[in-house]
Amino acid sequence: MTTLEARELVKDFHVRVGLRRVRLRAVDNVSFTLTPGRTVALVGESGSGKSTIARMIARLEKPSDGAITLTGPDGQRVAERRYRDNVQMVFQDPFASLNPFHTIEHHLARPLKLHGQPHGWEDVVQLLERVSLPGRDIAGRRPHELSGGQRQRVAIARALAPGAKVVVADEPVSMLDVSIRLGVLNLMARLQREENLAVLYITHDLATARHFSDDILVLYKGRVVERGPADDVILNPQHPYTKILASAAPNPEARGRNVDIDPADVERAGAAAAFDHNTGAWEEVPT
Amino acid sequence: MRYYARKFAFYLVALWAALTLNFFIPRLMPGNPVDILMAKLAQRGGTVDPSARRAYELLLGANSGESLLDQYFSYLGNMFRGDLGISVSSFPTPVSQIIAEALPWTLMLVGIATFLSFVLGIALGTFVGWRRGTWLDSLVPATTVLAAVPYFWLALILVAVLSSAWGWFPLQGGYDVVLWPGWNADFIGSAIYYGTLPALTIVISSVGGWLLGMRNMMVSTTAEDYVLTAKAKGLRDSRIMIKYAARNAVLPSVAGFAISLGFVVAGSIITEQVFSYPGIGSKLLQAVQNNDYALMQGIFLVITVAVLGANLVVDLLYAVIDPRTRVSG
Amino acid sequence: MTNLSAVTVEPPRGRAGWRSMLPRWSPKLGVGLVLIGLITFLGVVGPFLVGDPNTIRDISLTAPGGEFWLGTTQTGQDIVAQLAHATRGSLYIGLLVGVMATALSALFGIVGSYVGGYVDEGFSLFSNVMLVIPGLPLVIVISAFVPADQRGSWTIAVVLAITGWAASARVLRAQTLSLRNRDYVAAAKVSGEKPWRVITIEILPNLLPLLASQFVFSVIYAILSEAGLSFLGLGASNSSTLGTMLYYAQNGFALQRDAWWWFVPPGLIIALFGCGLALVNFSIDEIINPKLRDIPRRAAAEAVRVPDPVKRPDDDVVLTVENLSVVYQVENPVHAVKDVSITLRRGEILGLAGESGCGKTTLAYAINRLHRPPAEVTTGSVTFHDLPGQDGAGDDVDVLALTPEELRAFRWSKLSMVFQGAMNALNPVLSIKAQLEDVLTTHRPEMTKAQRKAKCEEVLKLVGVDVRRLSSFPHELSGGMRQRVMIAMALLLDPQVMIMDEPTTALDVVVQRGILREILRLRDEIGFAVLFITHDLPLLLELADRIAVMKEGEVVEYAEAQRMFERPAHPYTRQLLDSFPSLTGERGSFVRSGEQMTPVDRSGEPTPSGGVR
Repeated sequence: MTTLEARELVKDFHVRVGLRRVRLRAVDNVSFTLTPGRTVALVGESGSGKSTIARMIARLEKPSDGAITLTGPDGQRVAERRYRDNVQMVFQDPFASLNPFHTIEHHLARPLKLHGQPHGWEDVVQLLERVSLPGRDIAGRRPHELSGGQRQRVAIARALAPGAKVVVADEPVSMLDVSIRLGVLNLMARLQREENLAVLYITHDLATARHFSDDILVLYKGRVVERGPADDVILNPQHPYTKILASAAPNPEARGRNVDIDPADVERAGAAAAFDHNTGAWEEVPT
Repeated sequence: MRYYARKFAFYLVALWAALTLNFFIPRLMPGNPVDILMAKLAQRGGTVDPSARRAYELLLGANSGESLLDQYFSYLGNMFRGDLGISVSSFPTPVSQIIAEALPWTLMLVGIATFLSFVLGIALGTFVGWRRGTWLDSLVPATTVLAAVPYFWLALILVAVLSSAWGWFPLQGGYDVVLWPGWNADFIGSAIYYGTLPALTIVISSVGGWLLGMRNMMVSTTAEDYVLTAKAKGLRDSRIMIKYAARNAVLPSVAGFAISLGFVVAGSIITEQVFSYPGIGSKLLQAVQNNDYALMQGIFLVITVAVLGANLVVDLLYAVIDPRTRVSG
Repeated sequence: MTNLSAVTVEPPRGRAGWRSMLPRWSPKLGVGLVLIGLITFLGVVGPFLVGDPNTIRDISLTAPGGEFWLGTTQTGQDIVAQLAHATRGSLYIGLLVGVMATALSALFGIVGSYVGGYVDEGFSLFSNVMLVIPGLPLVIVISAFVPADQRGSWTIAVVLAITGWAASARVLRAQTLSLRNRDYVAAAKVSGEKPWRVITIEILPNLLPLLASQFVFSVIYAILSEAGLSFLGLGASNSSTLGTMLYYAQNGFALQRDAWWWFVPPGLIIALFGCGLALVNFSIDEIINPKLRDIPRRAAAEAVRVPDPVKRPDDDVVLTVENLSVVYQVENPVHAVKDVSITLRRGEILGLAGESGCGKTTLAYAINRLHRPPAEVTTGSVTFHDLPGQDGAGDDVDVLALTPEELRAFRWSKLSMVFQGAMNALNPVLSIKAQLEDVLTTHRPEMTKAQRKAKCEEVLKLVGVDVRRLSSFPHELSGGMRQRVMIAMALLLDPQVMIMDEPTTALDVVVQRGILREILRLRDEIGFAVLFITHDLPLLLELADRIAVMKEGEVVEYAEAQRMFERPAHPYTRQLLDSFPSLTGERGSFVRSGEQMTPVDRSGEPTPSGGVR
C-alpha cells in the first residue's frame, strides 16, 4: 500500500512587473491523498494551477510550502532517493514528451535500467505489450513514425517502467484525436486495476473526470473550491464555480439554450468558500 | 521603459568591459611596450618628460611599483577626460586629435555603405523570399560567393579593373589632393567620387548576408497564420508582402545587427588600408606598424564606442518597430 | 576528402536519429561538398605532390603555362606549390578556430542556459558583451602587442577563437532554452536521469545541426580573418597561409604588374571554400528549419477556367460546393478532399466535424481558394449565390474561375474567415486598429477616415470588446479577446458567409461559451451563414443547424443536427459520438475498469477509503 499525501501545498512564482517583483500564487493550500486503486481528478481551466501540482508531485518543481509524503507498504516514509521508483508522470503532449532523436527502446530501457530492472530487448517488448502495442514491431522505431495514440501508450509504458505505484497523468488525452481518447483512458484504467496504482488525473474536461475518477477536486486560481466523490461533484455541484463550469460544457441535449456567463460572475463565484462533499460543509477561505 | 533602462545598462557594462580589456591587454602581453615606445620616441628626437612617461605607463603598464588597482583608476580617469595620450608616430600630436581628424571619414564611409547595403539586402531579400519557387531561388546560392570573398581581395581586384585598367575611379585616397578640405561643392563632390569604390566594396561584400538572412525569414514568415489571414482579407499582394510578411521578417535582421556590424567594421578597416583612405582604419594600421601603442589603443576604444553606439541606436529602433518589447521588456 | 557516396544515397522514408541529422541531398549540397573536397584535397595531399614552394628561380613573374601551371612569383617561386602549402596553412587555422570557438560557444551557450539562474544570466551577459565589442580591431590590437617571433599559428587561432565564439553562443543559448523546456527533457528528469546525461544524451543530439552550422560559420570567419590579418602583416609568423601569399603578392605589386595569376588564385580559393561551406550550411539550415527546403518551381499559371456556376436551387442558398476534390500533388498524390458536395443556406450554421487530417481545413481553404501548392483543386465547383440586388436576381459566382483581382475583391466582402489558433492569426506588430482598417482601405476606398473609425468601433462593440482596445497590439489581449477581435474583423464588410476554423479550440470552456454565444447572437441579428469547423461533435450538435461529418476526405454523414444526435446513421458518427462521455448521463462506451466495450458493474472495485480528505 504505497500512498502519497500532499499536504497544504503552496507554490509561488515571482514575476517581474515593471521594476517590481510580484508574487503570483499558482497553487494555494491544496491537500489530497492518493491511495492504491483509486483515481483523484484535478479539474480546472488554464491557470488553475493543476499542472503545477502535477509538476510538484513529479519533483519537477519544489513546493514553496507544504509537504509531499510518500508512505510505503511497510508504513514507513519512502526515502527520497527511492521517490522516483514509485512516482512517475505521463505528460500532456505525446509529440513533445518523446525525444525525436531516440528510439522507443531507448525511452523504455533507460528508466528500466535506472531503477534497477532488467532492461534487455525482451523486457522492453514485454513492457510495450502491456500497453497493447506490438512491441517487436515498435521498439526499434522512432517517435515520429508512431501515431499520437501509440506515442501516448509508449509514454504510459515509460511511466510504468520503474515499477511506479503512483502515476500522475497530466491531461493525457487532450492532445489526441477524440476517437482514440477513450482507448487510452481505458488502457490506463486497466493498468490501474492490474497494478493497483494510485492515479492523479489532471484534466479540464469534467465529463472524463467524472467517469475516470473516484474523487474530484475542482480548482480555481490555485485553490480547491469543491471536492468530493466524482458523481456527487458533477451531478450535484454545490459551488457556484463548479456550476458555471458544468453549464459551459457542450451539451447536445440542450440545443438552443442560451447560456450567458459574465466574466465578473466567474470571478465572484471563484472567490466563494469551498465545499467538501465528504463533510458536507462549506470551508471558509483562509486569507 | 524597462527595455530602455536595460539596454542602457547593458551598453554601459559593455563599455566598461572594453575599457578594462584595453587596460589589461598590454599588461598581459609579453615584452615591455613602454620601453619600446620610449626608445622609439628618443630615436625621433622627442623629449621624454616624466609626465609623458607616466601617461604611457598608465596606458601600457610598467613596473612602477604602483598597485594595479591605483593604475586602473588613474587610467579610467584619463579616459573619461578624453586624454588618450600622445601619438609617437606623429609626435607630439595628441591621439585624440588624430582620431578627431580621421573619424569623420570612416563614419561617413562605413555609415553610408552599411546603410545602403542593409537597405538593399533587405529589399532584395524581401522580394526573393516572397517570390519563392520562381527562378529567383537560384540567385540565392550565388550571394554566398560574395559573402565569402575577402574584402581586401575584392577591393584590389576592383581597383585593378575599374581604376587602373578602365580609369573610372581614382586609385586611392579620400579626396583630390589639390583641393583644400572644406564644406564646398568641389571638395564634397571629390570626396564622394573618391569614396564610391571603397563603399562599393563594402556594399558588395556585405549585401549577401543581409539578403540571405532576410530571405530565409521571409520564407518562414509567409507560412504564418497572419499572412494567410491577410490573404483571406483580400488585401493587395504588395501590402501583404510589406506590412505583414516583411514587417515581421525584418525583426531578426535588426536584432542581429550587432553580429553583422562586427564583420562590416572588420572589413572596412582592411578596405581603408587598400585605398589609403584617410580614415581610422588606415590610422590603426599605421599605429600598428610604428608600435604607436597609445594611438592603437585610442583607436580601438573609439571604434568600440562607435560600434556600441550604433548597436544602441539599432536596439532603440528595434523597440520602435516591435511593440512587444515595449511592454514585456 | 569528404566521402560523397555516403550522402548521395537518399535514406528511406522514416529518417530519424543520426540519419535525420544528415542533410537532404540537393544540387547545392553537391556543389558545396565538391568545392570543399577539392580544396581540402589541395591542402592535405597537394603539398606532397608539389615541389618546395620556396625554391627561388630566376624566372620572375612567368605567366601560367608549361611547367608552371599558374606561373611564378616575383622571385620565380611556383604558384601551385605555394597555393598547396598556403591552403594547408589556412585550413589548419580554420579547423583549429572552428573547434575551439564551437567548444567555447557550446560551453557558454548550452551549459549556461541549461543550468539557468545567475549562471545563465552571467554567461549570457558575457557573451553579449563579447558580441558587441568589434572582433577584428581587438585581434589587431592583441596581435600588435605579441612580438612577431612569438606569433605562431596557435596564438593567432586562440585569439581568433576568443573573439569569434560569442555569436554562436547566443544562437545555441536560444535553442537550448527552448529545448530544455520540452516535455521529453522533463520526462528524462522524472525517469531519474542525471543532469549531465540530460544534456549530453537528450539535448545535445537535437542541437547537432545547429552546432554543425555554427562550426561552419566559425571556420569561414577564421579563414577570412586570418587572411585579413596576414594581409596586414599581423598573421602567424612561422606559417604560410593564403593571407600571407596575398600579402607578398600585394607587396610585390602583382596586380600593378599584371601578374593576376599571383594575386587572384589565393583569394579565389578562400572565396570558393567559403562558398562551399555556405552551400553545405544551406542544407544544414534546411534540417533546422524545414520550411527553407526547396519547393518545386511554380507552374507557369493555372489553367484558365471557364466560369460554370451552379444554378441556385432557390434564393435561400448562399453557397454551393459540388463534387469538390482537392489533391496534394506530391510524389504519391494525396486525396485530401474527395468529391464533397455541401450547400450552405442563408443564416444557417453548418457544422463540419472530423478529426485531424480528415480534410476539413483543406476543404475550408479551397472554398476561398486559400489552398497553397502542392494542394490543387482537381474537380468540382464552388458557387457563391450573391444576395439579390435591387434589379432582381443576384449573380451566381463561380469562385474557382475568378481572376486574381476579382478573387481579391470577393474575399472578405462576400466571404470572411475566422481562423483557428487565435494566437497567430493577428499580425503581432500592427495595432488592432491598423489591422481592422486595412480591410476598409482596401475594399472601401471611398470611406473617409472618420467613417472607417466609426465602422471599426461599431464592430468591436458588436463583439463586446472595449473600443479603447483599438490602439492595443495583439499580445496585449487575452486569447478570448483576440478571437473576438477576429470575429469583429470578419464582420467589417457585412459578408454573407463566414467560415470559422476551430474558432474556440484553444480556449477554456467558459471563454469558449462566451464566444459561441456572440456568434449565435450576431448570426441572429445580421443573418450571415456560418461554416463552423471543429473536432468537437457535441459542440456542433448543440450549436449547428446541419452537420457534415468528414472522414479521410469524404463526407460520410450529412444531416440535421437534431436527427444526427438522435439517430446517427454512419458507424463513424456513432463512434465519434461515443467518444464523448456524457457529463450527466450514462457512461456510453466509457468503461473505467477495462478495455472491453461493455458496461461493468462498479461494485467490484475497491471500496472507497481514504482518497480525498
